[in-house]
Amino acid sequence: MATIRRFPAEFGYVLPLLLLMLAVFILPIALMLARSVTQPEWTIEHYQNLIETSVYLRVLGRTLRIAVITTIVCAVLGYPLAYWMRGLSPQRQVVATALVVLPFWISILVRTYAWIVVLGNAGVVNRILLDLGLVGAPVAFLYNELGVIIGTTNVLLPFLVLPLFAAMVRIDDRLLHAAESLGASRRTVFRRVFFPLSLPALAAGSILVFILTFGFFITPAILGGGRVPMVANALDLLINQFARWETAAALSTVLLVVTLACFAVSRWVGARGATS
Amino acid sequence: MSRILLATSSVLVLAFLCLPALIVIPMSFSSASSLEFPPPGFSLRWYESFLGDPRWLLALQNSVVVALLSSTIALLVGSVAAYGLVRGTFRGRALIEGVFIAPLVVPSVIIAVALYIFFAQIGLLGTMTGLVIGHTVLGVPYVILVMSVAIGSFDHRIEQVALSLGASTSMMFRRVLLPNLLPSVFAAWIFALIASFDEVIVTHFIAGRHDTVPKRMFNELVLQVNPTITAIATLLIALSVVAIGIIVLLLRRGGVRMQSLT
Repeated sequence: MATIRRFPAEFGYVLPLLLLMLAVFILPIALMLARSVTQPEWTIEHYQNLIETSVYLRVLGRTLRIAVITTIVCAVLGYPLAYWMRGLSPQRQVVATALVVLPFWISILVRTYAWIVVLGNAGVVNRILLDLGLVGAPVAFLYNELGVIIGTTNVLLPFLVLPLFAAMVRIDDRLLHAAESLGASRRTVFRRVFFPLSLPALAAGSILVFILTFGFFITPAILGGGRVPMVANALDLLINQFARWETAAALSTVLLVVTLACFAVSRWVGARGATS
Repeated sequence: MSRILLATSSVLVLAFLCLPALIVIPMSFSSASSLEFPPPGFSLRWYESFLGDPRWLLALQNSVVVALLSSTIALLVGSVAAYGLVRGTFRGRALIEGVFIAPLVVPSVIIAVALYIFFAQIGLLGTMTGLVIGHTVLGVPYVILVMSVAIGSFDHRIEQVALSLGASTSMMFRRVLLPNLLPSVFAAWIFALIASFDEVIVTHFIAGRHDTVPKRMFNELVLQVNPTITAIATLLIALSVVAIGIIVLLLRRGGVRMQSLT
């Protein structure tokens, strides 16, 4: 790569997009950040407002709780799935990967809608439960945190499974055979060799799911039915209903800081995984 | 024993992942207006109620226009920038690439709030121009990711040969680089197109009274349950399947493996 000629022109290729992104992406975000501390003058009142108004703290707490639960559920469901896929024949791996990727390509609105059909009061699951006489009245799966967590897990699971599976495939089988031939039981090989090697990918994938849940908007809006507002839904209300731009800017800043901090951690974890 | 347990749980998780698609498609052909599943009878009434409703058709038209314009702009500016990033040796490339990829990392709702406040001040809020600009920003990361891989895997010496044989830079682009990268260019364009066509959050904030298909679907879903959405959903799934098929074919012809993108 070092022998490539230096074209000053090459920066010129980058320039149009750079100017575009600075003008309509970086600048709006910078102005929003500035607005959260400069309206009407230098102030931290909008952040004080976030802390002092119990509504925002409750929304932040709920968002954090849902994000943590969703992340754990994704890890618990996703890790065994990725591990199982690793052991399949190459043809079956392709099929399994395709099934994991498939939902990626279906509008998130559609996937969320399907859960109303499945889990609603007149939905498939409730009718089965009622017909079997297991419950006397429909179980409320939707329009509460449970519904939001089910829907969010369904949407975000592929984000954990795909990178985890890719990382597991790269783990050298010979390491496992070596451990076995040295007398380790299957369980020990998994616990002492395989699991530690897959841990960085599991951590990175979990952080990704956490980040994505933290900023989730569509699923809580639809499956929460307005009763489970998360940060993004609070932003929707602040902007589109109450026109409280400064509070929205402050809340967005909190969301942005959390996201970027988690992203930095995941890059760091990923880099450690790559070198170890 | 534990193997059987692992296989069973994995198949169940896969079923959980694919359940929405399996539910929605049969629902769209249902004759009932309730959420009965399995559907009591076959009908195309929800397709008729979509295609016969001028508001849905207007939303579809807006979606197509915005998706075509934004993905094309993202493709043109993004491909050229990807070339500069891959072939360039100037400093700060990692930072610039970070800026280009950032819309994929930053939560959409933050971009939505920022663009709302920004557009409100410069008079672009609720305009189609503003919507196209917003969607272009969201499409750029896909173009950069796909085109960087494609350009990186194209032998730089072939470009140098063309130049040393007397081709101008623009001729080299048109006659050497573009024909070789064409499959990836199409794939990048479709990625950006789908990203725009599927976009809900930024559109919900900045589109004002303009409707797109996903925005209208979202509003319908928040207010009520309307099976028309299953018909649109099925059409969208069909569109996605066709699009993935095309992308996979194009990337394979372009010599790019899907794995290198994920």
